[in-house]
Amino acid sequence: MLRFRAFRIVQWLMERLPRPLAYALAIVIARFAYLFARGARRALEENLRAAVPQVSGRELRLITWNNFRNHSKAYADLMRLPRARVEELQPLLHVEGMEHLEAARAHGRGVLVVSAHMGSWEVAAAIWSATIAPVSLFAEELEPRELLDWYRRTRARLGISVLPLNRAGLKQVIKALEAQEMVVTAIDRDILGTGLVTDFFGRPARIPEGPAAIALHKGTPLLPVCVYRLPDDSYQAVGYPPIVAEPTGNRNEDLRRVTRQLVAHLEEIIRAHPDQWHMPHRIWEHANYPAEATAKVTS
Amino acid sequence: MKIGLVSPYDYSHPGGVTEHLRHLGGWLGQLGHEVRTFAPSSRRGAEDEIRDFYRIGRVFPLPANDSVARITLSFHIARRVQEILERERFDVLHFHEPFLPALPLTLLSSSHAPHVATFHAFAKSNLGYYYGRPILKQYLKHLDATIAVSPPARDFVRHYFPQLDPCVIPNGIDVDRFRPGQTPIHHLRDDSVNVLFVGRLEKRKGLLDLLRAYQYLQQRVPRSRLIVVGDGPLRGKVESFVSSHRLDNVVLAGYVPAQVLPRYYCSADIACFPATGGESFGVVLLEAMAAGLPVVATEIPGYLSVVEAGVDSLTVRPKSSGELGVALTVLARDSYLRRKLGQAALAKAQRYSWPMVAARVIEVYQEARETRRALSEKEAEPSVHHSLPSVG
Repeated sequence: MLRFRAFRIVQWLMERLPRPLAYALAIVIARFAYLFARGARRALEENLRAAVPQVSGRELRLITWNNFRNHSKAYADLMRLPRARVEELQPLLHVEGMEHLEAARAHGRGVLVVSAHMGSWEVAAAIWSATIAPVSLFAEELEPRELLDWYRRTRARLGISVLPLNRAGLKQVIKALEAQEMVVTAIDRDILGTGLVTDFFGRPARIPEGPAAIALHKGTPLLPVCVYRLPDDSYQAVGYPPIVAEPTGNRNEDLRRVTRQLVAHLEEIIRAHPDQWHMPHRIWEHANYPAEATAKVTS
Repeated sequence: MKIGLVSPYDYSHPGGVTEHLRHLGGWLGQLGHEVRTFAPSSRRGAEDEIRDFYRIGRVFPLPANDSVARITLSFHIARRVQEILERERFDVLHFHEPFLPALPLTLLSSSHAPHVATFHAFAKSNLGYYYGRPILKQYLKHLDATIAVSPPARDFVRHYFPQLDPCVIPNGIDVDRFRPGQTPIHHLRDDSVNVLFVGRLEKRKGLLDLLRAYQYLQQRVPRSRLIVVGDGPLRGKVESFVSSHRLDNVVLAGYVPAQVLPRYYCSADIACFPATGGESFGVVLLEAMAAGLPVVATEIPGYLSVVEAGVDSLTVRPKSSGELGVALTVLARDSYLRRKLGQAALAKAQRYSWPMVAARVIEVYQEARETRRALSEKEAEPSVHHSLPSVG
C-alpha cells in the first residue's frame, strides 16, 4: 500500500510536469536508484555482462547507468499516459519494418508480437493501440493489486487489453488472435518459472514457451519487434521478418527450436541497445548473482 | 458552395458543438463543398493541425448551464474577420450558437453572405438571452434560415425569440465509427454485465445518481461492472464515493481517445445516461444506440427526443437513483430484453447518419441563399426607383 502511495505521488507529479521537466525528475530518481538499489544494479550489470561480454568494466558501468536513466524515463512516460493526448504523441513514434507486420497479418491468423522488456514499449504500444490498431498485452500480474489495477486502467484507456498470464488469459489471447488481432508479449523473463530452459546469451535460462506453443498450435506468425528510445526522446519501433512455426511432429523439439529462434532475435536486438534492456532481475539459473539481486525490486 | 462554419467554443477542447462542426465540415467537404471553420482556440498551432481553420480570439472559461462554456470575449477581432471575409467570399456562413459572444456576433454583423444558424443549447432559462434580447433582436434580421438540433432546443430558442421558426435537423453520428462488433477491451469482456457511462464528469450529467444506482445493482447482480468514460471536475468526488462506499468493479477510464471510444461501447452491455437536465440532444445516446446497446436514460426533453421508452430504452425520472437502480437491475437480469432493445436502437441510429444529416443541412443552405437573393432583389428595386428622381 505504501509503495503504491509513493508511486501515485510521483505519478501525480509526473503527469502534471511538462515533458522535459518530467524527464529531468526521472533522471534524478534514476540517480538515487542507481546509488541505493544495489541489488537491482548488480543484477542488471550481471545481465548486461552476459549480453555484451566484450565491453570493459568501465564501459559496462556506463551502460548500466544509461540503462537506469532510460528505464526511469520509460517510467516517466508510463506515468504520463493517463493525461497524455495520444494524438500529440503519435508523431513521436517512428515505425520501421511495417511490411513485416503486413506479411504476418497476411497469414490471417492474428499476429503475436514478441519482444523484450526494452525501451518505452509501454508508450509505443499505447500509441499504436490508440491510433493504428487494437493491441492486447499478454503480461505478468504485478504486485501490489492497486498497482496492477492502475496499470490496467491506464492501458485500457488507450484501448489496450491486458490479459493475465494464466489459463483464462490464454483463452482470451487465442480468441483475440482468432479475431485477427495483435497480441504483444515479452519473453525475456519467466515470471512463473515454468518456461523452457533455453540458451540465452550462451547460458541456460528459463524462457516462456507460450508464444512458440501458440504459434505451433494455431499457425500464428511470431513477429519479433523491438522498441527503443532515440536520442531526441522519440521512439523507434522496428519489426523483423515474421517467424512461422512449422510443426514437424516432435512437439518438444519444435518448441525448443522456435523458442530458440525467437531468443536469437532478441539477443541481436539487446546487443544493439544494451542500455535499453531494462532487466534488473535474475534471469539465468546459475549466473553469479549477488544475494540481494534475488530479492524483489521495483519492477 | 463555399461554406464557413462558425463556432463560439474552444476548438481544441472536446465538446458537443465542436464535434458537430468537425463532422459536419468533414461531410460537407466529402460532398464537394469548400469548407472553412472559424473558432477560438486555447491552443496555439491548432491551425497547423486542422485544415482550413481560422483561429480567432483567446478563450475564456465561463460558468454556464451547470457547466463551463469556453468562449472568446475578444471583441477586437472585427478587422481580422473583415479581411478574411473579403478574401474568402462565402456562399453561406453557418453559425452554431449564433448569439454567443464574441466570434459569432462579430461575424454576423460584418458579413453579407447568406446566414444559417443552428441552435444547440437547451436549459431551463438563459439569462443571457433574456437580458440580451433587446440587443440580440437586431441580429435576428441577419439570419436567413435557422436550425435547431431537437424539438426542445427549438422551443427553447422560440421562448426568447418567437419570431424565429427553426426547422429541426438532429445531430448526426458516424455510423461507420460507431457500430457493433468491434474489438472490445478484452479484460472488460468477461461474464460480468457491463454498464457504461460516457460524458464529462460534471454535476448535470448525473453520475453520482448512477453511482448510487450501481450500488443498488451490485447488491442484486454481483457480477456487474460500471465503466465510466470521461473526465471532469467531479472526478475527485466520484473517486471518493467509490472508495467510501466500497463499490466493486468500477472502472474509471478517464478521457478515452476518439479512436478507442467505439471499442468501449462494444465492451458494454448497457449504456446509461442519467443527466439531470440541460441537455438539448444526446449524441452519446445515439453513439451507444449505433453500437447496438440498450439505453437507460433520464426523462429529460433532450434525451426524450432521441429515445423511445420501452422500444429502444428504459427511461427514469431525473435525479432518481432508486428508479435508475431498478431499471439497471431489470436490464442486467434480462439478456433477452437487452438484445431486443439493442436491436431497435441499432435500427434507429441509422436514421441519424451524417450523410443524411448533411444532405438536409445543404437543403437549408439553398433555402437561405434563395431567401437572401429574394431579399436583395426586393431591396434593390426601390433603391433604383429612388435613385431616378434624384438624378432628375
